[in-house]
Formats: sequence, structure tokens, C-alpha cells
Amino acid sequence: MPTLTIDNKSITVPDGTNVLEAAQRLGIVIPHFCYHEALGAVGACRLCAMMFEEGPVKGLQMACMVTAQDGMQISTLHPEAQELRSHVIEWMMLNHPHDCPVCDEGGECQLQDMTIAGGHGRRRYAGKKRTWINQDLGPFVVQEMNRCIQCYRCVRTYQDYCGGDDFGVMGSRNRLFFGRFQPGKLESPFSGNLVDVCPTGVFTDKTFRFKTRYWDIEEAPAVCPHCSLGCTVIPGARYRELQRVRAGVNRQTNGFFICDRSRFGYGYANHRERIRQPNCQGAATSWREALEHLKERLGKVVNEYGPLSVAIVGSPRSSLECQALLREWTREHGYRPPLFEIDNRRDRTARILAAGLGKQARSMAEIADSDCLVMLGSDPLNEAPLLALAIRQAVRNGCHVTCLDPRAVKLPCAASHLPVQPEQLLPAINGLVANRFEEFERQDQLFLEGAAERLGRAERPVLVGGGDLLGPEGTEALLKAARSLNAGLFVTLGGPNSYGGALLSEDGPDSEEMIEAALEGEIKALFCIEADPLTEGPARSARALGQLELLVVCDHMVNRTARSADIFLPTTAPPEAAGTYINNEGRMLPFGGAYAPGLPLRDIGEGGHPPRTFSNITTGGEPRPAWAILATLLQRPLDFDSIHHGLESDPHFAGLGLLSPGGEGRRVTDAGMLPPAAQPEFPHSAPEGSLPLLVVEALFGTEPLSSLSPALEPVIPEAAVQLHPTTAARLGISDGETVSLRTELEHLRLTARTEAEMVPGLLVAYRLRGTPLELLPVGKITPCLLEKGGNDA
Amino acid sequence: MNDYPQILFKNRVVGETAFIDRFRANGGYQGLEKGLREMTPQEITATVKASGLRGRGGAGFPTGVKWSFFPADQPVEKFLVINGDEMEPGTYKDRQLLLADPHQLIEGVILSAFALQVSHAYIFIRYAYEECSRNLEQAIAEAKEAGYLGRDILGTGWDLEIHLHRSAGRYILGEETAQLNGIEGVRPNPRSKPPFPAAKGLWGKPTNVNNIETIACIPHIITGGPGWFINLGITQGGVGTKLFGLSGHLNRTECFELPVGIPLREVVETFGGGVRNGKGFKACLPGGASTPFLTAQHLDTPMDFEPLEQLDSRFGTAGVTVFDETTCMVGATLNLIRFFARESCGWCTPCRDGLSFVQWILEEIEAGRGNRDQIAMLKDQKKNITGRSFCALAEGAMGPLDGLLRHFEQELEDHVKLGRCPFGD
Repeated sequence: MPTLTIDNKSITVPDGTNVLEAAQRLGIVIPHFCYHEALGAVGACRLCAMMFEEGPVKGLQMACMVTAQDGMQISTLHPEAQELRSHVIEWMMLNHPHDCPVCDEGGECQLQDMTIAGGHGRRRYAGKKRTWINQDLGPFVVQEMNRCIQCYRCVRTYQDYCGGDDFGVMGSRNRLFFGRFQPGKLESPFSGNLVDVCPTGVFTDKTFRFKTRYWDIEEAPAVCPHCSLGCTVIPGARYRELQRVRAGVNRQTNGFFICDRSRFGYGYANHRERIRQPNCQGAATSWREALEHLKERLGKVVNEYGPLSVAIVGSPRSSLECQALLREWTREHGYRPPLFEIDNRRDRTARILAAGLGKQARSMAEIADSDCLVMLGSDPLNEAPLLALAIRQAVRNGCHVTCLDPRAVKLPCAASHLPVQPEQLLPAINGLVANRFEEFERQDQLFLEGAAERLGRAERPVLVGGGDLLGPEGTEALLKAARSLNAGLFVTLGGPNSYGGALLSEDGPDSEEMIEAALEGEIKALFCIEADPLTEGPARSARALGQLELLVVCDHMVNRTARSADIFLPTTAPPEAAGTYINNEGRMLPFGGAYAPGLPLRDIGEGGHPPRTFSNITTGGEPRPAWAILATLLQRPLDFDSIHHGLESDPHFAGLGLLSPGGEGRRVTDAGMLPPAAQPEFPHSAPEGSLPLLVVEALFGTEPLSSLSPALEPVIPEAAVQLHPTTAARLGISDGETVSLRTELEHLRLTARTEAEMVPGLLVAYRLRGTPLELLPVGKITPCLLEKGGNDA
Repeated sequence: MNDYPQILFKNRVVGETAFIDRFRANGGYQGLEKGLREMTPQEITATVKASGLRGRGGAGFPTGVKWSFFPADQPVEKFLVINGDEMEPGTYKDRQLLLADPHQLIEGVILSAFALQVSHAYIFIRYAYEECSRNLEQAIAEAKEAGYLGRDILGTGWDLEIHLHRSAGRYILGEETAQLNGIEGVRPNPRSKPPFPAAKGLWGKPTNVNNIETIACIPHIITGGPGWFINLGITQGGVGTKLFGLSGHLNRTECFELPVGIPLREVVETFGGGVRNGKGFKACLPGGASTPFLTAQHLDTPMDFEPLEQLDSRFGTAGVTVFDETTCMVGATLNLIRFFARESCGWCTPCRDGLSFVQWILEEIEAGRGNRDQIAMLKDQKKNITGRSFCALAEGAMGPLDGLLRHFEQELEDHVKLGRCPFGD
């Protein structure tokens, strides 16, 4: 822990800290470009010069390249340091086009700030400037190379950190081009990070182009709602329109980066079909009338059939506050205990994980620090993209990654992949503990023995699981394995707050039980809070819901269940209200509301200038946070303090009220409770004569919110069925051919895609929203028939 | 004409290449036999250290000292890299050496690799030196055939493989860490030091990088002994001989092997045959394009590291480029700066943008569009580029500008005053 003095201020920093970081800790602002906390110091820009006056290093040095040592006395204000900084800025600005008025970065441009801070105010270069022809980089990122100051952050982010290989630096001297070899869509699912890391306007957000200046945007630190990892994001809105999402910083979860689904999947909040007014039987009404109508209808059901005829389905999309009030509401009125996930497999998986994770919990930061990772049924780039980046950082530090999965799992780093059948995951997990793999073929045995051996030798091993494929039995086995191997555990779950729902569900009933009760006519009124049983629930949900007397839906998106609601109450979208999610490692992460809901001016202004008439009513401003609707029904005060206070009486949630949005969050303590016993559904298998179809999540097009985002339309994958070339050959199907896929309930035409890296004998399809595939259960085997052609569909 | 001892050019016949027969007939591979059969690796390193040999690639770092930093005794994979990316304008000595006598280098590589206990040596050769590359390929094949390369060399139990790597052809690859990136096949930006290549070099393994001429000296030091080698130099502290590549406005622009410490006047007048066309001597670059100019008043300086450093210039590669009295030094400097600005790899700002800015200022002045402020700007660019860049390229580029500002500021003033170049085109 060296102690050094910078500008007469003394500071003690951890070993290995560089002097630039030490200065930052003292609050000294030193202009810099190439240094970035996540990317490290490379000494390219030569801007962070400081004068080292006394101590082990002397003279003018680049602060980012010098490790802090005891006795250093450093001046940042030394005339030579200031002189060099002003020169470096002048050099960088030689070719810069000075087009700030038309540049999207203007106002949040590090180059603008550093030009002022560096003391360069007068242009002395009067020669010609170097200009470029820009490339079309696809739907997400705009390139304007003339603005480039060659800090190399983009290429270090894209190639080094994110593992992309279709973008890089070309040329030399003062003619460096940062782009692709040919124009075209950036292939990395992390391409949007170029927008954040570029210190000037070379790479800007195409979906945000020419919309808003930084000082006009409403932002708040939030948590990404598109998977269970809980990455910190900063949504930004103007004129009641969610206009962009940028990465927030959470060193425990996402670090500094986010995926393109998180960044460009925000369009659901502005969706034109979003219902923004309460309605009863399809007729718009006021909140007062809707709530009175609701009480009246609910009272009737309770009077007639008793309180147990009322059931509640909550959601992993809901905030912890909403979930907590749901539970209170049911308790207060004696309704059935709430469910927080209608997909039974995901529900039970989350509850088993939450019940047992305890000390085995690892954060993404800890994954990046691991020396041995074994992935079981996890496909991070499709299920939880930032996990893939954490794994890549581990590999860059020398970690070995083993991946057991039926799919052709692609990672942005080296990994040993063994394609296994879904039902082989369980014996593989148990085998890793006992180091016995008799059920596997000889060659696979050697592979697995190698993995077990590395796991045993590792100092910081982590088992990474995909909750969808593992299911409850697999997750339970993985938990036991982690405990017995003394390894960390990281299992991805279904939604942003699956973990919170799992804790609140305790040992309450599961959706099977509820659906059965509904089918038997025991349930007459159903509340769906941000849940869509008709899409996410089992196939017989439709029959169960058909027998209800009252269906109430509170949601911010239009879906099957919302369309059939008797009473619909609009809720706010995640960026429109504050709340808390608990991510898949059990980390409580609060988020702030960036803006108040309302119909985007763009939609009512017909493209014209914002209206100049003033009114204290916001058009389309009716949506309320789901927790606030429940608080109203419960006649509680509309503030978080009382909800948090109530939750904190449960030791799991200790410290919740002290957290603030944008922070690192805090792990829940203790463990939750196991769900009631159920019939094991693992291993999967398909009846004779049929083929096993595994429906899984994809990066784009399957997550419910982001699939509604128009910005992602160009990247949504085709509806395809993936199969191993040998399976295809057996069926006489060739790559790219149209095939007909028939399940018990659905019949659809898809494109066949052969995939040599996946396991033979299995069919894999993405659960694409807006196609019949969205109705198939994720992670489970669906028996199906596959035929050539499909003209008969 | 050249009565000085010929060591490196012993076998040189212009227009011919000495391959293994002539090389061995003239005492070739005796140093190797002696080194491998009679000496330990530590003894070889100690001998090189005692000889005082300084690197011939330009920087002049003592070779034995560099070797003593190398973890030769550690049982890890490590590499020797021979820097043959001779791309500095005015420097062509390594080319002459490889055209005349490629086995000399191979013998030096084997001895050095033995001293450093590496089993893989890379000779990194300039893109344009195809003939040299072919000579080396033949020499490597012959040496292998003769049992000097391969497995268990001369019964020592030690193996060596020499790999020839042809450069893709940029000046920056002469920078040792950029060269390592080049061999690895990645973009040849220099790496930050520390870690130095001796700790973390090629593919992250300990690596020693030496110039071709340096390595060619090793067999002679082993055969002749350090005392003999030291005495080859004719100044106090100057050791060995040096290949001088003469170019510019001289009557004879050839490469000569001369003792270290020979006066510049003798190099120019005796070996260069004096300034051509009877013109007067105006200036010279003493050691390649990156060394500050010397003028007529410096002609009696001994050509050695210390004396030239005292004149704020450098011995560099001993590529002596002479300018006659009709030369516009602003134009000459501009020409050199253009080279360095063009060859910047683009990694750090002072080099990438600073050099092109200097180029622009010089162009303005040379074209008669300059003003006095721009002369002041040149000084302040020089001050802020020198020592502030990531590697030595930009610092080297400031060498001629430094010489221009120290010795020929009046020419800059004249350009500004006249509004044109006083020397015509």
C-alpha cells in the first residue's frame, strides 16, 4: 500500500494502482483518452503527463504508465506537464473537423472537455485536414471517422475486451482508420459499447441520432430488465420517449459494458400499441372507475366463492417492491399465495437456487477472476450476454473454460466444448463430483475426466449453469456439486427479478398446482401482474383461464393475456419508475425512474415542434407503477420506505433500504425456501418415433420486452430449426431448406440450419416472439415431427 | 586504400558472396568450435562483456550487459531475435555484410544463442533485402548440413533452430518490441517497457534482440579475445571496428569497415573521396537519419559514441550522409521528417500527429509561406516531442530538426525573410 503525494495531497493506494488512478482518487482531474479503467493503461495518447519531482521515478512521465510507489512527489500543475498537455490536444485536434454543432456527442464529449482542460484554445495548423469516407456499420452504430483522435479505445474494447474480430485498426501514421475491412453490420453483440467508449463522436448511437443533447436528456441509473444478470444501465428519455440506453458502471456485475440487446432493446417503452389507459372489457376508463369496478367484481367473487378463489400471478419482470406488496395483499385478504413465475420449470429452478446458493454465490467480477470455469447447459451469448464477457476476461487471465451443452455454444474466447444430450447434463454434473463418467462414451469420458481434474486443481473454480436447460433437478445437482467441490456457482435465471420472486414464493405452491386448481374451477378470479400466462404458461393455461369469472391484468406491454383481460390496468415500464431487482447471484440492485410515463410527443406532435400549449395533464401519463396500484388497493402510503421496512423485517433483505440506484448492490443473506416436492422432469426424453425439440432463448427476438423494440428488428434471427449434419442427412434435409415442424399443438414452417458443433439427434429452435415458437416451453424437450418441405402447412 | 584491419569484411569481395567453403577456408566457424567446445555459456557472455562491444543497431547499448540481464540459466522457453530491419535512410551496412558473408552472422547467432541458452533464434530481415534473405537461407541450410545447426550441436546436447522472418516492410519494425509483435503476426505497434523483452518478449517469453552487425562481431571476439577486440578501436574507450555506410554528396559512396574512433574528416576525405564536384562540406548526418547534423567545424571529431554525444549528436549506425554547401538544410530536414512522419506507426500522439505537424511547418517555411512564429513553433514542437513519445521513433525524428535548429537557424530565418528557398528548388 504505497503512499504518495500528488499536488501536495497525500494518498495511500492499493499495490499496483497507477498514478493516474491515484490522482483520480484524490479528485484531481487529469485529461486522458487512452486510459480506461476496464481497458487499462497503454500510454498511447500521452495526455496524462505529470512531473515526478521526488521519489523513485523522476521527470515528466505519463501517469497511467507509472505504478504508484512510496515517496513519490508529483505535480500535475508543473508548467512542463501543462505545456505538453496543451500540445497533445493541439496535435489531436489538427485533423478534427470542429463539427460539434452537428455532432451527437456534443455536450457529453470527452474531447470537448479535455480540449478545454488541456489548454488548447487557438488553431495554429492551417493545412488541409485528413478526411475519410465513412462505413455503414449496420443498424446500431454510426461512424464519423473524421472526428477520430486515435485513442484506440474502440479497438481495445471491441477486439481485446469483447473478443470481436470484424472491427479493428487499419493504416498507420496519421491515417489510422478504425472500422471494418468492408462496410457492413458490426458482428459483435457488444458493438454498442463503441458508442460509450469513444471519447468523441466517431461512434454514436444510430437509434439516438439527432434526437437530444445531453443536457436535455432525463437519465437515472437503472438495472437492465432484459435478463437475469442485473447489469447497470442508464436509460435516457426526452419528450416522454425513451431514446437511448447507455452502460452504467457496476464493478460487481457488468463492469463498464452492456450488450446490444440491453442498449438497443428499449423500444418496448415507446411501443405504439402500448395501452396507456385503464380499461374495463376493452373500454377505456378512469383509474377511479377501474379500481371501483375491480373492487366490486372482486368482492362478488370473494363473497360467492371465498377468498381462496382469488389467485395472483406475479412476474420476474416486476420489482421486488411490487412482488412484496403482492404477497402482503394475498395475506391480508386470505387469497391464494402468489406465484412469481408462471413457467413452472423456471419457477422451481429459481426457488431451488435461491434456497441453496448461500456461500457458493459468485458475481460476474468473480467469474472474470476465476481460474477454472465449467459451464453446464449455459449459452451466455444467447441467454445472458454479459456473462460471456466475464468469461472472456477470465480466459484472458489464463482461465480454462469447459462447456457442456447440446447447443453449438459460441463464446468470444477459447473454450473446450463437448456437445452432450440435454439428459446427459445431470450425469455429467454428478460425474464431476465423483469423477466417474461411466454413462459416457470413452472419448467423452476422457474429456470429462480432464474437466474434473482441472476443477479439482483450480483455486477459484466456478460452475456456470443455464437455469433453462438445467431445470430444477439439474440446478439442485449443480448446487450440491458446487458445495462438495467447494466451487462457486453462477446460474442464469429467467428474468431480471426471478431471484426476488423465488425468495418471496418461499415454499408456496407452484404453477402446476394453480393451473390444476383453475381447471377444477376452484379459481374464479385471477390477477396477472406483469405476467402473461397465455404465452409463458403451460399449454392448458388457455383452458384454465377460460373458466375464470374475472381476469385482471396489470402490465405495460400488450400480450395474449392482456388482450383477454376483463380489467386492464396500465403499469409503468421499468425505466419509468423506481424499484429493486435481485439478480441471479442474489444481489439486490435498486433502480431509479428516469422519466414519467406519457405518450411520446413524437407520436402526438406529428413530427412538428413540441406543442407550446401547457397543461398539467400528461397525455398518456396514466400508467402507474405496479407496486403503487397494489399500495392503493392495500390503502398504503405511496412510498418505498414502508415497503422496504416491511421487507427488512425478513433477514434476507437486510440493508435493502440503504441501497441507492447505480451502486454495487448487496447480496441477500441466508437462503430461501425450497418449493414443494414435484415429479422430477429431468432427464428429458422424447417418445419413440418423434424427434426431441429443444426451444431456447436467443440474443435477439425471444426476450419479451426487447422483442418489441423496432431497433432490433434487423437483427432478429430467422425462424429456423438447427440440427446436426448427420441428423439432417438421416432425415434427407439439407442446409437452408424449408421444413415442416409439427408438435402436439403447433405446426410451423421453418428453415433448416445444419450446425456441426451441436449434439446429433436433437433439434434446437429459438423461442422467437410473434411466431408459434413462443408458445413452446423453454428448456424442455418437446416431441415433434420434422419433414422436408412444408407446403402443406 | 583501406589499411585498417578488416574483420567483418575479411571475406568481402564486392559482387560475390562467401558461402561455407570460402568462409571455412578463411577461418570461419572456428569461434563457434572454440565457444561450444571450450567455453561455458557464462564464459562467452563474460568475454562479450569484457570486450566492451556496444550494439551496432543505433542505440549503442553494451551487448554484454544486455546479455547479462537475460535469464540464460532459467529452464524456460526463450528466444534470440536478430534485428535485420535496416530501414533508416543512410544505413545499409547490414546489407553489405549479408551480401558478402552470411555465414559470419550464422556463426554469431549460434554462439550468441549458446551463450543465452536459447533453442530458437529468429532473424528478422528487411522486406527489401530479398537477396540477403536468400543468402541467409542458403547459409542456414549449409550450416545445418555441416552440423552447426539442429540437434545436439557439436556434442553439447544443445539444439538450435534458426528461423528467417521476412518483414512486411515498415520502419517501425526496427523497434525491438514492434519487431516482436511483427514476428508474432500482430500489428507492429511498440510494446510498453517494462516489461522488457528480456523478461517478457516474443510470445511472452524472455527474448534477446540484437543487431546483425553486433552478432557478427561475436565470433571474432571469441576467437581473438576481448583485449584484441578493444585494441581495434583507436580512441580511448572506443572498441572494435565499425561498418561505415557513406552516402550523399561524396565522390565515393561505399561501405567501409573502419576502426571505431576514426576522425570524421578521414572518413569523408580519405574514404569518401571528398565532397563531389569540388564543393565544400556543409553538414553530415553521422549515424543515420535520426542523428543530429554535424557541420564543418566538427570534422575532427572521432567517430565514436562518447565524442559524438558530447556534440549532442549520436554515433548511431555510422551511416554517414554528407551534404554539400549548396544543400538547403531546411529542405534536407523536411525530407527526413517526411520519412519519419510517414513511418510513424500511429500509436502515440506526439509521433503520429506531432511529426506531421512539424512536416507541415517545414513545408510552409520551405515554400516561402512561413513566418517567424513558425520558427518558434518548430522549437517548441521539438521540445515537446523529444522524450515524450511512446518509443524512440519520434525522438529520432527530432534528431535532424535539432541539428537544423542548432546549426542552421539562420537558413530558417532566410527562408522567412526572402519568402522563398534561398537555394532555389
